This record gives sequence, structure tokens and C-alpha cells, in this order.
Amino acid sequence: MSENIYLPRMATIQSMRPETIDVTTFRVTIDGSDGAGKFEYKSGQFAEVSLLGVGEAPIAISSSPTRPEAIEFSIRRVGELTTGLHELEPMDEIGIRGPFGNFFPLEEMEGQNLLIVGGGIGLSPLRSVIFNVLDNRGKYGKIDIIYGARSPQDLTFTSEYKEWQEVDNVRLHLTVDSGDEEWKGNVGLVPTFLKEINPSPENTTSITCGPPIMIKFVIEALRELGFSSEHIITTLERRMKCGVGKCGRCNIGSKHVCLDGPVFTLKQLEEIPSD
Amino acid sequence: MKATSEEVQTTVKKLFEAGNIAHFIGYEKGSYNLRVTPCFLKSGQAASRLVWNPLCANNLSKYLLDFKNVEGKVGIMVKGCDSRSVVELLKANQIERDKIFIVGVPCSGIMDKEKLLEVLGISLGEVVEVEDDGDTFLVTLKEGKQRVEKEKVLRGECLVCKYPTPVVYDVLLGEAVSSLPWVGDDYSLIKEQEALSSEEKALYWNREFSQCIRCYACRNVCPVCTCSECIFDKKAPRWLSKANNVSENLVYHLIRAFHVAGRCVDCGECERACPMNIPLRSLNKKVEKDLLELFDYTAGIDVEQQPPLTTYQVGDLDEFL
Amino acid sequence: MASQTKSRIIEKNKLTELLDKLAQDYHLIAPVQGNNVSFRRVESGSEVTLDYINTVLSSKGAFLPQTETLFRFFRDDSRGFRIETVNDADREQVVFGIRACDARSLRLMDMVFDGQYKDSCYLNRREKTTLIGLACFDHAETCFCPTFGIDPTSGEDVDILFSDIGDRYLVEASTEKGADLLNRFSEFFTELRGDEEQLREARKAGLEGMKKLDVSNIADKMAPLYGSDYWDSIGMKCLGCGICTYVCPTCHCFDIADVSVDEGGERFRCWDSCMFPEFTLMASGENPRADRKARVQQRFFDKLKYFHDRYGELACVGCGRCIRYCPVNIDITQIIEDVTSGKVGNE
Repeated sequence: MSENIYLPRMATIQSMRPETIDVTTFRVTIDGSDGAGKFEYKSGQFAEVSLLGVGEAPIAISSSPTRPEAIEFSIRRVGELTTGLHELEPMDEIGIRGPFGNFFPLEEMEGQNLLIVGGGIGLSPLRSVIFNVLDNRGKYGKIDIIYGARSPQDLTFTSEYKEWQEVDNVRLHLTVDSGDEEWKGNVGLVPTFLKEINPSPENTTSITCGPPIMIKFVIEALRELGFSSEHIITTLERRMKCGVGKCGRCNIGSKHVCLDGPVFTLKQLEEIPSD
Repeated sequence: MKATSEEVQTTVKKLFEAGNIAHFIGYEKGSYNLRVTPCFLKSGQAASRLVWNPLCANNLSKYLLDFKNVEGKVGIMVKGCDSRSVVELLKANQIERDKIFIVGVPCSGIMDKEKLLEVLGISLGEVVEVEDDGDTFLVTLKEGKQRVEKEKVLRGECLVCKYPTPVVYDVLLGEAVSSLPWVGDDYSLIKEQEALSSEEKALYWNREFSQCIRCYACRNVCPVCTCSECIFDKKAPRWLSKANNVSENLVYHLIRAFHVAGRCVDCGECERACPMNIPLRSLNKKVEKDLLELFDYTAGIDVEQQPPLTTYQVGDLDEFL
Repeated sequence: MASQTKSRIIEKNKLTELLDKLAQDYHLIAPVQGNNVSFRRVESGSEVTLDYINTVLSSKGAFLPQTETLFRFFRDDSRGFRIETVNDADREQVVFGIRACDARSLRLMDMVFDGQYKDSCYLNRREKTTLIGLACFDHAETCFCPTFGIDPTSGEDVDILFSDIGDRYLVEASTEKGADLLNRFSEFFTELRGDEEQLREARKAGLEGMKKLDVSNIADKMAPLYGSDYWDSIGMKCLGCGICTYVCPTCHCFDIADVSVDEGGERFRCWDSCMFPEFTLMASGENPRADRKARVQQRFFDKLKYFHDRYGELACVGCGRCIRYCPVNIDITQIIEDVTSGKVGNE
């Protein structure tokens, strides 16, 4: 019969780059002669990442399919599994199942301006979008990235900011909840910062991801700024086990976050229970 | 005489009216024959729903902790066994005494409906009502009435109950019952099991635990299982997975028996809740017997008496851990 | 399409022998009297009991075992792993004695495990199983399958239906698979005598009084009740154990976990319950269903609305097990009546 959908494919860690004290970006290639080319995904999707013997967890793919040499996962150390992953080294193997879930509707957003709003580790799936649109620069209008974290030490992907800003008509706005002596940038919560920047909703789609409370306030702010609910997109987090809509854990109403999400427009969210 | 449902209803209504209580936990008629279900009231208006009859098996003290941070005094109806769980909750400072208003009802036995149906050779659909009548139950059927000796159809814990009258209460409804006539040596079954060889014991319990489905009902229905995060739910460290096998099932049950040791009052809810009819009471009863013999201790009688496993005295058998 | 093959009968005294033979040729799962009557694997016909209205544990475990190994893994060298699949689901099974409610529940479970991603562990077992149903001519106080359009005397969701019509069993195949099995064991069956239908009709008297609730448009009626205080009153009673979900034939939620043994281990899945507090708990500490009210609401919404919204059918088959075994008498029929009568939402 059909293959076992619970079998992971093995992947080798090529490199591990610490982003912050508890977030590391793992760069992996799928084992087998075809490597990453066999793992076709779109921005917004996730994979179930295994450390055999410890467990499996859903992790957003933080690399872009426009750069298929490897797949990247930016993983925060919060529990048993992620701690185990952080203790691995390059050339160690992990298991990957997927890609699962739906994806950001980047094709529908062509010709529009993009407003990307991230908080903390939430920048991880958004990074996939950032590199995707930067690699397809001509298809989109102006790109604004608003990103904040608790402190300067919690900002992720700092080594890439220069590369993003060097691209034409891309602006990066950084903020932290609380700064330190060296921090020269904005200090304030992301939703507040967003309102101060006052982006125009005209021909713009906004994608946001971050802690649930931040998403809530960012969405409120975007509405206040005049964004319509079809043009506000977010990606939700739920405890997902099987990733394929069978284990019954990630449902919000009749939608499964692993099948119908994790990417949802605000319009879709308004139609499902407020779980 | 045993209190009637009406007496309970009147008492509770008055308590609400006088402002003695802001909430009440009692029993009401269930959704089909021979069931009762917990009833939560916020005023005396619906007090007429309350019942007190030989089907009121639930140990309602389980729900007291839900009211810990809710405003207002909570009234609760307790039988003898239930009142002893309340004593244990008070001992452990799980709830304050002046937070609760205890309506005690002396009990002379709760009926086991499976036993009743078997003894009378009838099906559930034929039974209309069961009333307490001293040493017997008067059973009203769709056609006619039948009387059955209590001893034949009581729940297991009632057959060995030494505290039919609540040991703590604010008001007592009905006449106190000093002892139940059928209660003899309440450890006779345990002594039989103690006499088995290790191999026989292992065979017996392996067979029982192989039927356990780890629904955790025994834990969740137990009034003294009060940990806000149960050790068996922890992921880090993960003591037990959710996999079902005899080895893990055994670990779960034995550890739970030790965790409630000194606090279990044999209310029998664990065994009643178990859908696989596992004789859980005998595990806890054995621990209860050991505590009595080793430390002269009985749970749920005296609020001042601390459980032996949480106190240390110089003359204790083992050194303090 | 079910094909009607010739019906046969089997004398009651031949049944044990038939079951013996089935146990030899197949993995036979049938009701067994342990502490209660539940489906278990049997090695001989004498282990089987037919003295039940319904089993405590449903036939769900024959297709979604409570604990199931997904695969094993071994350390290949100091860094790598080798994965080995397990072929547990690859043998021919017969489930004997399944009631109409449980049989219908399998069709509902199929909707979950099939679809965009095919769960081969479950689907293999389904494909390799012949279902032999046992018609009901009696019912428990808690049974209410007619509510969902289920006929307790029909074999439409099984491969073969046995009906106890007094001194013998009427045996009818409703699928090719069923007809094949009857042919393979033809020596046990004999021709009809002519009065079988009559006898069956007479036996149906035992089903009189079965609860049949009105569930028309219940999914729509549930919608405005999300967040209602009604679920609070049920959540207060609920103990948060897993009995209802474990005995329910349509509950399919599971957990996946790894266990390490020496230089390898296995990944398994096992039943889990949305009633457990840590079901939706995330590693970050967030829990979208942190209180009992939310979990209780989720359970009834799933059975009476969400499943219907997604798959077009209600996820309850009226077997009544959750009602019977709930220690605090939370009753889905009461909830259905409260919802359809409009009692909820008007407090």
C-alpha cells in the first residue's frame, strides 16, 4: 500500500549558526543523492523535525525555496527535543517529515507592497518570505520589514540585516522592548512601533508572525491603519503531532492548523472559533 | 431515620437565604435509570433539584478545590466517607475550613446497580426507583416492587465502612448511624491476598493491569489526588509515556497508591469509575492496613493527625530520607 | 457497491467450531469476557462470548491500536540512523461480533485516515479486515443509534451479518469480501429454511423504545453556542479523565512519542484525549484550551459540528458508551436535546 506517512527522511546538519542565546539556525541537506532538491516546499510551510529517540516537533522552514541548496530551520531551545537538537553538531543526522501545511500566497501578492511584521522567533517563517521576495524583487513593490524582540540580544538573523537593506526599496525597522547602553535604535513594543511608522495600506499586504499576544495587537493596529482583513496574513502556532490532520490535536473549529494552515488570512480567522 | 431529599432541599434553600453559602454542591437526578449526577447551585431557586438516595455514590469533595479562589462560601453535601476526604483536604491545607459549609448526611449504604440487576435478574430499563428502608432496599420496578437485602447489593466500600456518619459537619441531616450491622473484619479480602505467594500475586496483578486502559479516571475522580500538575502528565522529565503496556500500567498504579497513602479513605470512587472493573480498592486498602498496623494511623478522622509518610518521629522504623 | 450473495444459516452449535477455524486462518478479534466484555485477539472460539449488548471497548483498537509502533531505528554509526519499518498491519484480520454502531464508526474513522494524506497503518488494517457483524435485537438504556440513521439490524457497514433468530443464526454477506469468506468456510453453512425473515421480524420487538433524537441541522444550531455558559456547567462536573474518549468508537486522537532503548529505539503512537489538560499545551507554555470548560466545549462541538463541517457527517454513532461509563453522568443525549430544543443560549 502507500508509504508510511510517519516515516521521516534523514537529513544531515551542514552547519549550525547561533542567532541568540537560545535560537540556532540549522542548515541541513536531505540524505540521498538528490539532496534538498527532492524536498520541495513553499514559504510558510513547516516540517516535523525529529531527533530519533527523543521526539518530533513542528518547526517552520526559515529558508526560501529560491535557494534550494539546503533547508534551514531556526529553532528555539524550549524543551526536551529542542535542547537535544541544540546539542547536536554538524554532520549529525536529524529526521524530517514534510513539508506540511499551506503557504503564504506570494503569487497573489505580486505587484503589491509588502509589510512584514515580526516579533522574536516569529521572524523565522517570515525570513523565508523575505529571501523569497528579495530573490524575486521585480515582482513586488516596496518592502517594509518591522521587527522587534525583547532585547538587542534576542534579535535573530542580525548577520543578514545588511543584505536585506542593500536591496532596492527595502526598509528594515528594528525595535526592542528594552534596550541597553549600546542600543541606538527604537525602544518600544512592535505594535506601538508599527503605529508610529504609520504604513499606508494602499496596495499593501501585511504578513505578521510572533508571540500570540503580539499578533493580536499587531492585527488590531493594522485594522486601525486601514488594512482590510484579506490583506492581513498571519501564521498560527499550535501543538502539532502528526502534521497530516489525523491526530486531532491542532484543530481550531473545523480547521486543522496543519492542513488548512498554519497560514491564515484575518478574514479566515474571523470565521473560526476564537480558540 | 435517613434524611429525605425534601429535607436536603429545604435546608439548602434556607442556607442560601440566610447568606450562609454562595454555592452548593449536591446531587441531582441523573439522565437515566439509577443515575445521579453532581449538582452545582448558585442560589436556592433550583434547590428542588437536589436528591439524597442510595444512588448518591459520587464523592463530591473532589470539586471543593475548584472553589478555592471563587468568592463566597461553598456548601457541600457529604456522606461519612466523603467527610473523611474533606478532613484530608483540610489537613493538607488544600482548602480553608471557613470556606466550606458542610451538610453531613449519615449514610447506611450506597447501592451497586450492577449487583442489583444481577441479584434481581432484571435489566436496567425495568427499574424505576430505589429507596432506603433500614436493612433493605425497596426497589420500585415498572411492574411491582421488590425488596432486597442491602448486604447483597451494596458497593464494596460500604460493606466494610466504619464511618457511616460524617466526622466533620456544620449541620447533620438525619439520624447519626453509629455502625453498620454487616461490617465485620474489613481487611478479610486483603488478608486473603497477603497469603498468596509472590508468583500468585504477580499473576493476579499482571492480569488485572493488562486490562487497564490508562484513562486516568481513577486519578481524576480521587478527591485526594490534588496535584496541580500530576507527575504522570509531566513531559520533562517524562516518567511515563502514554503507551499502554503492563509494565507502565503497573508503575502508574503502584506509584499512585503510594502517593495517596495515608490520605485515601476508601471512598471507592476509583473502583466505581474504572470502566475495566479493576479491583483498585484492594491496592489502597492494603496500604491502609499497613499504615494502621505500623503507625496506628487512620486517614480522615482527625484534622490534627498528620499522615505518617509526611512526618518524622524519632522512633520511626527508617532513618529520615 | 455491496453485492447481495445468497444468505445462509449456521446452526448455533457450529459457531464455536467456525470461530476456531477463523482463529487459525486469521488474526481473529472478538468479544471476550475479562473483567468486562471487550474486543480482544482470540486463539479459539471458546474464548468468545456473545453475552453482551455492547462491548466496553469498541472495535476501534483493531484498526487504531492503543499503542502502535510506527517504526524502529538503530544507530548506524556514530552520527547516523537506520530506520526500519514494522509490518504489523500486514496480516489478514477478522473482527467478529461488531454491532451496527461500531461498524458505522469505522466509516467515519475512514474519512479521517484517508484523504489528502493516507494513513497506511490504519488503512492497511481496514483493507485486510473482514467485518462480521452481530445484529442487535435488544438495547441498553443508553443506546440511541437510530438518531444517526443507523439500523441496528442491518449489515450495511459490515462484510457479513450474523443475526440470532432463535435456534440458529441467519448469515448474510453484504460485500464481495464477505461472500468470499462464506465460500471459503462453506462447510459450516446450510440453506435457508424459509422462515428466517419472519423470525427476524419477530425478534425486532426487542428494539422497541430505542431513543431516536432529532439531530437535523444540529451543526448549525451549535454554532451560536460557542462560548456559552452552558459548557461551564458541564465543565464543572467533568473530571477531565479520558474515559469518554477511550470508549468512544469515533475518537481517534493520538500522541506520537519516541522511546530509546540502548543504541536505538522506536517511535510509537498511542491514544490520547482532548480531555487531558496538557493535550494542547505547547512547549512555550501556551495552552489554547487551558480550562475544563474549553475542553468540554471542544469535545461536543467536534462530535456535533466540527466533524460535520469538515467531512459532512456527525461524529457520533449513538453507542451510548460515554453515557454509561462517565463517572459523573455527562450525557450527550441530554446535550443534544438541550441544543435542539433551544434551551441552551436562552438562559
